[in-house]
Amino acid sequence: MKLKELLESDKLPSKNELSDEDLVRFFRKYKGLLKERERDKAFWAATNENLKIAYEKLGEKDEELVKVYSIIREDLSVARQIQEALLPKMPDKMEKLLDLAVYHKQLAEVGGDYYDFFTTKNDNHALGLFDMSGHGISAALVINYLKAQFMMVMERLESPKKIVELVNNISHTFLTTIKKYATVNFIVFRRDTFRYVNGGGFGLLLHGGEQHPFVRKDPFLGLRTKPFHEFKLPFKKGDLLALYTDGMVEAQNDRSEDYSVKRLNGLIIDNAKKPVQDILKICLDDYQSFRSKDTDDITLIILRKKI
Amino acid sequence: MSAKKNSFELKVMGATILGFAQACINLHIIAGSRATSLISNIKPTSWYPFQRLRDIESIVLESYEYTAPIMERVGMEMMLSWYKFGPGADIIKRGVEFLKFQSGSQGYASVVQGPEELVGSFNLVELDEKNGKALINSTTPFDKNLERGVIIGGMSAPGDLDYIDVKNDEDRDFFKVEFY
Repeated sequence: MKLKELLESDKLPSKNELSDEDLVRFFRKYKGLLKERERDKAFWAATNENLKIAYEKLGEKDEELVKVYSIIREDLSVARQIQEALLPKMPDKMEKLLDLAVYHKQLAEVGGDYYDFFTTKNDNHALGLFDMSGHGISAALVINYLKAQFMMVMERLESPKKIVELVNNISHTFLTTIKKYATVNFIVFRRDTFRYVNGGGFGLLLHGGEQHPFVRKDPFLGLRTKPFHEFKLPFKKGDLLALYTDGMVEAQNDRSEDYSVKRLNGLIIDNAKKPVQDILKICLDDYQSFRSKDTDDITLIILRKKI
Repeated sequence: MSAKKNSFELKVMGATILGFAQACINLHIIAGSRATSLISNIKPTSWYPFQRLRDIESIVLESYEYTAPIMERVGMEMMLSWYKFGPGADIIKRGVEFLKFQSGSQGYASVVQGPEELVGSFNLVELDEKNGKALINSTTPFDKNLERGVIIGGMSAPGDLDYIDVKNDEDRDFFKVEFY
Protein backbone atom coordinates (compact mmCIF):
# COMPACT_ATOMS: atom_id res chain seq x y z
CA MET A 1 0.00 0.00 0.00
CA LYS A 2 1.14 3.53 -0.58
CA LEU A 3 1.62 5.82 2.42
CA LYS A 4 -1.48 7.78 1.60
CA GLU A 5 -3.60 4.64 1.48
CA LEU A 6 -2.09 3.44 4.72
CA LEU A 7 -3.01 6.69 6.45
CA GLU A 8 -6.57 6.53 5.18
CA SER A 9 -7.03 2.92 6.19
CA ASP A 10 -8.40 1.87 9.59
CA LYS A 11 -6.12 -1.11 9.64
CA LEU A 12 -2.82 -0.79 11.41
CA PRO A 13 -0.01 -1.42 8.95
CA SER A 14 2.36 -4.26 9.61
CA LYS A 15 6.08 -3.65 9.72
CA ASN A 16 6.45 -5.17 6.28
CA GLU A 17 4.05 -2.72 4.74
CA LEU A 18 6.15 0.27 5.78
CA SER A 19 9.26 1.22 3.92
CA ASP A 20 12.12 3.13 5.52
CA GLU A 21 11.01 6.12 3.58
CA ASP A 22 7.49 5.74 5.00
CA LEU A 23 8.84 5.56 8.51
CA VAL A 24 10.88 8.69 7.98
CA ARG A 25 7.82 10.38 6.58
CA PHE A 26 5.73 9.32 9.55
CA PHE A 27 8.40 10.57 11.89
CA ARG A 28 8.53 13.94 10.16
CA LYS A 29 4.76 14.18 10.08
CA TYR A 30 4.66 13.46 13.79
CA LYS A 31 7.30 16.10 14.49
CA GLY A 32 5.34 18.54 12.36
CA LEU A 33 2.21 17.86 14.38
CA LEU A 34 4.14 18.31 17.61
CA LYS A 35 5.39 21.64 16.36
CA GLU A 36 1.87 22.70 15.41
CA ARG A 37 0.66 21.66 18.81
CA GLU A 38 3.43 23.67 20.41
CA ARG A 39 2.33 26.77 18.50
CA ASP A 40 -1.33 26.13 19.31
CA LYS A 41 -0.54 25.74 22.99
CA ALA A 42 1.39 29.01 23.01
CA PHE A 43 -1.48 30.78 21.27
CA TRP A 44 -4.15 29.45 23.61
CA ALA A 45 -1.97 30.03 26.63
CA ALA A 46 -1.54 33.66 25.54
CA THR A 47 -5.27 34.14 24.99
CA ASN A 48 -6.14 32.34 28.22
CA GLU A 49 -3.61 34.37 30.13
CA ASN A 50 -5.13 37.51 28.69
CA LEU A 51 -8.56 36.25 29.65
CA LYS A 52 -7.32 35.58 33.15
CA ILE A 53 -5.84 39.07 33.36
CA ALA A 54 -9.05 40.52 32.00
CA TYR A 55 -11.04 38.67 34.66
CA GLU A 56 -8.69 39.92 37.36
CA LYS A 57 -9.06 43.48 36.11
CA LEU A 58 -12.81 42.98 35.99
CA GLY A 59 -12.71 41.75 39.56
CA GLU A 60 -10.71 44.82 40.60
CA LYS A 61 -13.13 47.14 38.79
CA ASP A 62 -16.01 45.35 40.44
CA GLU A 63 -14.49 45.95 43.87
CA GLU A 64 -13.93 49.61 43.01
CA LEU A 65 -17.55 49.92 41.89
CA VAL A 66 -18.77 48.36 45.12
CA LYS A 67 -16.74 50.86 47.11
CA VAL A 68 -17.93 53.82 45.04
CA TYR A 69 -21.52 52.62 45.27
CA SER A 70 -21.19 52.28 49.02
CA ILE A 71 -19.91 55.87 49.26
CA ILE A 72 -22.77 57.11 47.09
CA ARG A 73 -25.33 55.26 49.22
CA GLU A 74 -23.82 56.73 52.33
CA ASP A 75 -23.91 60.23 50.89
CA LEU A 76 -27.50 59.76 49.80
CA SER A 77 -28.41 58.51 53.25
CA VAL A 78 -26.90 61.64 54.78
CA ALA A 79 -28.68 63.78 52.19
CA ARG A 80 -31.93 62.10 53.14
CA GLN A 81 -31.35 62.79 56.81
CA ILE A 82 -30.63 66.41 55.99
CA GLN A 83 -33.73 66.72 53.87
CA GLU A 84 -35.82 65.10 56.58
CA ALA A 85 -34.33 67.35 59.23
CA LEU A 86 -35.19 70.37 57.09
CA LEU A 87 -38.81 69.32 56.69
CA PRO A 88 -40.96 72.12 57.92
CA LYS A 89 -42.67 72.23 61.24
CA MET A 90 -45.85 74.20 61.44
CA PRO A 91 -45.27 77.48 63.27
CA ASP A 92 -46.85 77.63 66.73
CA LYS A 93 -49.33 80.32 65.69
CA MET A 94 -50.54 78.14 62.85
CA GLU A 95 -50.78 75.10 65.12
CA LYS A 96 -53.31 76.98 67.22
CA LEU A 97 -55.46 77.50 64.13
CA LEU A 98 -55.07 74.24 62.24
CA ASP A 99 -54.96 70.49 62.83
CA LEU A 100 -52.40 69.02 60.48
CA ALA A 101 -51.67 65.53 59.18
CA VAL A 102 -48.97 64.98 56.56
CA TYR A 103 -47.72 61.97 54.62
CA HIS A 104 -44.52 62.76 52.75
CA LYS A 105 -42.42 60.05 51.11
CA GLN A 106 -39.65 60.38 48.55
CA LEU A 107 -39.17 57.69 45.97
CA ALA A 108 -35.38 57.88 46.21
CA GLU A 109 -33.25 58.90 49.18
CA VAL A 110 -33.92 62.53 48.25
CA GLY A 111 -36.70 63.81 46.04
CA GLY A 112 -38.65 66.62 44.43
CA ASP A 113 -41.83 66.82 46.51
CA TYR A 114 -41.69 69.66 48.98
CA TYR A 115 -44.02 71.53 51.29
CA ASP A 116 -43.43 74.45 53.61
CA PHE A 117 -45.08 77.00 55.86
CA PHE A 118 -44.49 80.68 55.29
CA THR A 119 -45.41 84.02 56.75
CA THR A 120 -46.36 86.77 54.33
CA LYS A 121 -45.60 90.45 54.43
CA ASN A 122 -48.70 91.14 56.52
CA ASP A 123 -48.05 88.27 58.92
CA ASN A 124 -50.58 85.96 57.37
CA HIS A 125 -49.81 82.26 57.30
CA ALA A 126 -49.15 80.54 54.04
CA LEU A 127 -48.63 76.98 52.90
CA GLY A 128 -46.92 75.83 49.72
CA LEU A 129 -46.82 72.36 48.18
CA PHE A 130 -44.51 71.74 45.22
CA ASP A 131 -43.63 68.81 43.01
CA MET A 132 -40.45 69.18 40.96
CA SER A 133 -40.26 67.23 37.72
CA GLY A 134 -38.16 64.10 38.04
CA HIS A 135 -36.96 62.94 41.43
CA GLY A 136 -33.70 62.26 43.20
CA ILE A 137 -30.83 64.63 43.77
CA SER A 138 -31.43 67.01 40.86
CA ALA A 139 -35.05 67.58 41.85
CA ALA A 140 -34.07 68.09 45.51
CA LEU A 141 -31.45 70.67 44.55
CA VAL A 142 -33.86 72.70 42.43
CA ILE A 143 -36.51 72.60 45.14
CA ASN A 144 -34.03 74.20 47.52
CA TYR A 145 -33.47 76.92 44.96
CA LEU A 146 -37.21 77.56 44.67
CA LYS A 147 -37.61 77.60 48.41
CA ALA A 148 -35.03 80.37 48.61
CA GLN A 149 -36.94 82.36 45.97
CA PHE A 150 -40.23 82.04 47.85
CA MET A 151 -38.63 83.04 51.14
CA MET A 152 -37.18 86.14 49.52
CA VAL A 153 -40.39 87.16 47.77
CA MET A 154 -42.61 86.51 50.78
CA GLU A 155 -41.03 89.42 52.64
CA ARG A 156 -42.34 91.88 50.06
CA LEU A 157 -45.69 90.55 48.94
CA GLU A 158 -49.02 89.38 50.26
CA SER A 159 -51.15 88.02 47.45
CA PRO A 160 -50.50 84.39 46.41
CA LYS A 161 -50.93 85.40 42.77
CA LYS A 162 -48.21 88.04 42.99
CA ILE A 163 -45.93 85.82 45.04
CA VAL A 164 -46.13 82.90 42.63
CA GLU A 165 -45.89 85.09 39.55
CA LEU A 166 -42.77 86.83 40.82
CA VAL A 167 -41.08 83.58 41.75
CA ASN A 168 -42.04 82.17 38.36
CA ASN A 169 -40.65 85.16 36.50
CA ILE A 170 -37.41 85.13 38.49
CA SER A 171 -36.92 81.39 38.02
CA HIS A 172 -38.24 80.90 34.55
CA THR A 173 -34.99 81.24 32.63
CA PHE A 174 -33.12 79.02 35.07
CA LEU A 175 -35.80 76.33 35.07
CA THR A 176 -36.08 76.40 31.31
CA THR A 177 -32.31 76.04 30.92
CA ILE A 178 -32.18 72.98 33.15
CA LYS A 179 -35.46 71.68 31.73
CA LYS A 180 -37.16 71.48 35.09
CA TYR A 181 -40.58 72.64 36.19
CA ALA A 182 -42.66 72.32 39.33
CA THR A 183 -46.30 72.09 40.23
CA VAL A 184 -47.32 74.69 42.76
CA ASN A 185 -50.12 74.80 45.28
CA PHE A 186 -49.80 78.04 47.21
CA ILE A 187 -52.28 79.17 49.84
CA VAL A 188 -52.41 82.29 52.00
CA PHE A 189 -54.77 82.05 54.95
CA ARG A 190 -56.80 84.91 56.29
CA ARG A 191 -59.20 84.95 59.20
CA ASP A 192 -62.11 83.01 57.63
CA THR A 193 -60.90 82.57 54.08
CA PHE A 194 -57.92 81.61 52.07
CA ARG A 195 -56.66 82.52 48.64
CA TYR A 196 -54.86 80.07 46.49
CA VAL A 197 -52.94 79.70 43.28
CA ASN A 198 -52.76 76.27 41.74
CA GLY A 199 -50.37 75.35 38.95
CA GLY A 200 -50.69 71.64 38.36
CA GLY A 201 -51.32 70.60 41.97
CA PHE A 202 -54.37 68.99 43.55
CA GLY A 203 -56.59 70.33 46.31
CA LEU A 204 -60.01 69.82 47.85
CA LEU A 205 -61.85 72.03 50.30
CA LEU A 206 -64.82 70.69 52.25
CA HIS A 207 -66.69 73.69 53.61
CA GLY A 208 -69.92 72.94 55.40
CA GLY A 209 -71.54 70.46 53.06
CA GLU A 210 -69.87 71.90 49.97
CA GLN A 211 -67.01 70.41 47.99
CA HIS A 212 -64.54 72.74 46.29
CA PRO A 213 -61.91 70.94 44.23
CA PHE A 214 -59.10 73.33 43.35
CA VAL A 215 -59.29 74.85 39.90
CA ARG A 216 -56.46 73.49 37.74
CA LYS A 217 -56.05 75.88 34.87
CA ASP A 218 -52.62 77.37 35.45
CA PRO A 219 -49.33 75.95 34.20
CA PHE A 220 -46.42 74.69 36.28
CA LEU A 221 -43.71 76.95 37.58
CA GLY A 222 -41.04 77.32 34.93
CA LEU A 223 -43.21 76.54 31.93
CA ARG A 224 -44.55 79.95 30.94
CA THR A 225 -44.45 83.53 32.16
CA LYS A 226 -48.19 84.16 31.87
CA PRO A 227 -50.19 85.42 34.84
CA PHE A 228 -51.57 82.94 37.34
CA HIS A 229 -55.16 82.90 38.56
CA GLU A 230 -55.98 83.53 42.17
CA PHE A 231 -59.08 82.05 43.82
CA LYS A 232 -60.70 82.82 47.12
CA LEU A 233 -62.58 80.32 49.27
CA PRO A 234 -64.20 80.42 52.70
CA PHE A 235 -62.38 78.58 55.45
CA LYS A 236 -64.14 78.37 58.79
CA LYS A 237 -64.04 76.27 61.90
CA GLY A 238 -64.43 72.58 61.07
CA ASP A 239 -63.63 72.98 57.38
CA LEU A 240 -61.28 70.43 55.88
CA LEU A 241 -58.56 71.12 53.29
CA ALA A 242 -56.63 68.42 51.48
CA LEU A 243 -53.61 69.08 49.26
CA TYR A 244 -51.62 66.47 47.37
CA THR A 245 -49.18 65.90 44.54
CA ASP A 246 -49.77 63.51 41.67
CA GLY A 247 -47.60 60.68 43.02
CA MET A 248 -50.54 59.06 44.75
CA VAL A 249 -53.33 59.57 42.25
CA GLU A 250 -51.24 58.46 39.27
CA ALA A 251 -49.95 55.28 40.91
CA GLN A 252 -51.25 52.13 39.25
CA ASN A 253 -52.33 48.68 40.33
CA ASP A 254 -51.51 45.38 38.65
CA ARG A 255 -54.17 46.04 36.03
CA SER A 256 -52.58 49.39 35.11
CA GLU A 257 -55.54 51.30 36.60
CA ASP A 258 -54.80 54.67 38.19
CA TYR A 259 -55.55 55.22 41.86
CA SER A 260 -57.24 58.44 40.68
CA VAL A 261 -58.32 61.79 42.05
CA LYS A 262 -61.90 60.56 42.25
CA ARG A 263 -61.00 57.68 44.56
CA LEU A 264 -58.85 59.79 46.86
CA ASN A 265 -61.30 62.68 47.04
CA GLY A 266 -64.12 60.21 47.65
CA LEU A 267 -62.31 58.74 50.66
CA ILE A 268 -61.64 62.19 52.09
CA ILE A 269 -65.26 63.20 51.64
CA ASP A 270 -66.59 59.95 53.14
CA ASN A 271 -64.41 60.34 56.22
CA ALA A 272 -64.47 64.11 56.52
CA LYS A 273 -65.79 64.08 60.10
CA LYS A 274 -62.93 62.00 61.44
CA PRO A 275 -59.73 63.42 62.97
CA VAL A 276 -57.20 64.44 60.33
CA GLN A 277 -54.73 61.71 61.36
CA ASP A 278 -57.46 59.08 60.92
CA ILE A 279 -58.42 60.44 57.50
CA LEU A 280 -54.78 60.33 56.47
CA LYS A 281 -54.38 56.74 57.65
CA ILE A 282 -57.54 55.62 55.87
CA CYS A 283 -56.34 57.18 52.62
CA LEU A 284 -52.88 55.66 52.94
CA ASP A 285 -54.15 52.19 53.83
CA ASP A 286 -56.44 52.27 50.83
CA TYR A 287 -53.67 53.56 48.54
CA GLN A 288 -51.16 50.97 49.69
CA SER A 289 -53.60 48.14 49.22
CA PHE A 290 -54.36 49.38 45.72
CA ARG A 291 -51.03 50.23 44.16
CA SER A 292 -48.53 47.64 42.99
CA LYS A 293 -45.55 49.90 43.78
CA ASP A 294 -44.63 53.56 44.33
CA THR A 295 -43.34 55.20 41.19
CA ASP A 296 -43.09 58.80 42.34
CA ASP A 297 -42.66 61.01 45.39
CA ILE A 298 -45.87 61.26 47.42
CA THR A 299 -47.27 64.05 49.57
CA LEU A 300 -50.72 64.25 51.12
CA ILE A 301 -51.61 67.08 53.52
CA ILE A 302 -54.86 67.20 55.44
CA LEU A 303 -55.79 70.34 57.42
CA ARG A 304 -58.78 71.16 59.58
CA LYS A 305 -59.58 74.66 60.84
CA LYS A 306 -59.75 74.50 64.62
CA ILE A 307 -61.00 78.01 65.40
CA MET B 1 12.45 61.51 11.49
CA SER B 2 9.76 60.41 13.89
CA ALA B 3 8.24 56.95 13.78
CA LYS B 4 4.86 58.53 13.16
CA LYS B 5 6.14 60.44 10.13
CA ASN B 6 7.75 57.21 8.86
CA SER B 7 4.38 55.58 9.07
CA PHE B 8 2.88 58.13 6.74
CA GLU B 9 5.66 58.06 4.15
CA LEU B 10 5.52 54.29 3.94
CA LYS B 11 2.58 52.89 2.06
CA VAL B 12 1.07 49.46 2.33
CA MET B 13 -1.37 47.80 -0.03
CA GLY B 14 -5.00 47.73 1.05
CA ALA B 15 -5.13 43.96 0.68
CA THR B 16 -2.48 43.59 3.39
CA ILE B 17 -4.41 45.79 5.81
CA LEU B 18 -7.61 43.93 5.04
CA GLY B 19 -5.83 40.60 5.44
CA PHE B 20 -4.49 41.60 8.83
CA ALA B 21 -7.85 42.83 10.07
CA GLN B 22 -9.69 39.81 8.73
CA ALA B 23 -7.18 37.48 10.37
CA CYS B 24 -7.81 39.20 13.70
CA ILE B 25 -11.54 38.80 13.24
CA ASN B 26 -11.26 35.16 12.17
CA LEU B 27 -9.18 34.36 15.22
CA HIS B 28 -11.59 36.26 17.51
CA ILE B 29 -8.77 38.23 19.04
CA ILE B 30 -10.38 41.60 18.59
CA ALA B 31 -14.02 42.56 18.36
CA GLY B 32 -15.22 42.49 14.78
CA SER B 33 -16.83 45.89 15.09
CA ARG B 34 -13.55 47.52 16.10
CA ALA B 35 -11.63 46.08 13.18
CA THR B 36 -14.48 46.67 10.75
CA SER B 37 -14.69 50.33 11.67
CA LEU B 38 -10.99 50.75 10.91
CA ILE B 39 -11.13 49.06 7.50
CA SER B 40 -14.51 50.23 6.30
CA ASN B 41 -13.07 52.36 3.46
CA ILE B 42 -10.06 50.23 2.56
CA LYS B 43 -9.82 49.05 -1.05
CA PRO B 44 -7.61 46.00 -1.65
CA THR B 45 -5.66 47.43 -4.58
CA SER B 46 -5.17 50.95 -3.24
CA TRP B 47 -2.19 52.16 -1.24
CA TYR B 48 -2.50 53.51 2.29
CA PRO B 49 -0.16 55.01 4.87
CA PHE B 50 1.50 52.33 6.93
CA GLN B 51 -0.03 54.02 9.99
CA ARG B 52 -3.40 52.48 9.05
CA LEU B 53 -1.93 49.04 9.63
CA ARG B 54 -0.27 50.23 12.83
CA ASP B 55 -3.65 51.42 14.10
CA ILE B 56 -5.12 47.95 13.87
CA GLU B 57 -1.93 46.36 15.12
CA SER B 58 -2.02 48.60 18.19
CA ILE B 59 -5.50 47.31 19.07
CA VAL B 60 -4.04 43.82 19.33
CA LEU B 61 -0.91 44.92 21.15
CA GLU B 62 -2.89 46.96 23.69
CA SER B 63 -5.45 44.21 24.27
CA TYR B 64 -3.04 41.42 25.14
CA GLU B 65 -0.27 40.98 27.67
CA TYR B 66 1.58 38.25 25.73
CA THR B 67 1.40 39.20 22.11
CA ALA B 68 4.12 37.09 20.47
CA PRO B 69 2.02 33.94 19.89
CA ILE B 70 -0.96 36.09 18.98
CA MET B 71 0.88 38.04 16.28
CA GLU B 72 2.48 34.87 14.97
CA ARG B 73 -0.94 33.29 14.58
CA VAL B 74 -2.24 36.41 12.84
CA GLY B 75 0.61 36.18 10.35
CA MET B 76 -0.20 32.53 9.69
CA GLU B 77 -3.87 33.29 9.23
CA MET B 78 -3.07 36.13 6.82
CA MET B 79 -1.07 33.82 4.58
CA LEU B 80 -3.61 31.02 4.69
CA SER B 81 -6.22 33.51 3.51
CA TRP B 82 -3.82 34.90 0.91
CA TYR B 83 -3.37 31.38 -0.44
CA LYS B 84 -7.01 30.31 -0.21
CA PHE B 85 -8.79 33.49 -1.28
CA GLY B 86 -6.05 35.62 -2.81
CA PRO B 87 -3.43 35.14 -5.51
CA GLY B 88 -1.33 32.77 -3.36
CA ALA B 89 -2.43 29.53 -4.98
CA ASP B 90 -1.50 30.90 -8.40
CA ILE B 91 1.92 32.05 -7.26
CA ILE B 92 3.09 29.03 -5.26
CA LYS B 93 2.35 25.32 -5.56
CA ARG B 94 4.71 24.04 -2.90
CA GLY B 95 5.78 25.31 0.47
CA VAL B 96 9.40 25.86 -0.58
CA GLU B 97 8.19 28.10 -3.41
CA PHE B 98 6.99 30.57 -0.83
CA LEU B 99 10.59 30.89 0.33
CA LYS B 100 11.78 31.35 -3.25
CA PHE B 101 9.10 34.00 -3.72
CA GLN B 102 10.93 36.04 -1.07
CA SER B 103 14.12 36.16 -3.18
CA GLY B 104 15.17 39.70 -3.92
CA SER B 105 12.38 40.76 -1.57
CA GLN B 106 9.93 40.47 -4.47
CA GLY B 107 7.08 39.19 -2.30
CA TYR B 108 7.43 42.03 0.13
CA ALA B 109 7.86 44.68 -2.54
CA SER B 110 4.45 43.79 -3.92
CA VAL B 111 2.72 44.99 -0.76
CA VAL B 112 4.84 47.86 0.56
CA GLN B 113 6.23 50.99 -1.12
CA GLY B 114 8.06 54.10 0.00
CA PRO B 115 11.58 55.47 0.59
CA GLU B 116 14.13 52.69 0.46
CA GLU B 117 15.52 53.42 3.89
CA LEU B 118 12.04 53.08 5.38
CA VAL B 119 10.67 50.19 3.33
CA GLY B 120 13.48 47.80 4.17
CA SER B 121 13.52 44.32 2.74
CA PHE B 122 12.33 40.77 3.41
CA ASN B 123 14.86 38.74 1.55
CA LEU B 124 15.71 35.05 1.20
CA VAL B 125 19.40 34.97 2.01
CA GLU B 126 20.11 31.23 1.94
CA LEU B 127 18.21 28.16 0.82
CA ASP B 128 19.22 24.51 1.20
CA GLU B 129 16.21 22.75 -0.22
CA LYS B 130 17.68 19.28 0.09
CA ASN B 131 18.33 19.56 3.82
CA GLY B 132 15.29 21.68 4.52
CA LYS B 133 17.01 24.84 5.73
CA ALA B 134 16.69 28.48 4.80
CA LEU B 135 17.55 31.93 6.13
CA ILE B 136 15.50 35.08 5.62
CA ASN B 137 16.69 38.53 6.58
CA SER B 138 14.10 41.15 7.46
CA THR B 139 14.70 44.87 7.80
CA THR B 140 11.05 45.79 7.45
CA PRO B 141 9.05 47.86 9.94
CA PHE B 142 6.59 44.98 10.43
CA ASP B 143 6.23 43.18 13.73
CA LYS B 144 8.72 40.31 13.80
CA ASN B 145 6.30 37.88 15.41
CA LEU B 146 3.88 38.65 12.60
CA GLU B 147 6.58 37.98 10.00
CA ARG B 148 7.47 34.68 11.62
CA GLY B 149 3.81 33.72 11.28
CA VAL B 150 3.81 34.89 7.65
CA ILE B 151 6.67 32.53 6.83
CA ILE B 152 5.03 29.60 8.64
CA GLY B 153 1.64 30.30 7.08
CA GLY B 154 2.97 30.89 3.59
CA MET B 155 4.96 27.66 3.63
CA SER B 156 2.24 25.51 5.15
CA ALA B 157 -0.56 26.78 2.91
CA PRO B 158 0.06 24.42 -0.05
CA GLY B 159 -0.01 21.48 2.39
CA ASP B 160 2.95 19.55 1.01
CA LEU B 161 5.30 20.03 3.96
CA ASP B 162 5.15 17.84 7.07
CA TYR B 163 7.23 20.04 9.33
CA ILE B 164 7.98 23.77 9.46
CA ASP B 165 9.82 25.62 12.15
CA VAL B 166 10.91 29.26 12.11
CA LYS B 167 13.08 30.81 14.77
CA ASN B 168 14.49 34.29 15.19
CA ASP B 169 15.41 34.22 18.85
CA GLU B 170 19.14 34.57 18.21
CA ASP B 171 18.75 37.63 16.00
CA ARG B 172 15.33 39.18 15.54
CA ASP B 173 16.07 40.23 11.96
CA PHE B 174 17.12 36.78 10.79
CA PHE B 175 14.60 33.96 10.48
CA LYS B 176 16.07 30.46 10.52
CA VAL B 177 13.75 28.15 8.72
CA GLU B 178 13.71 24.39 9.03
CA PHE B 179 11.38 22.32 6.92
CA TYR B 180 10.70 18.95 5.41
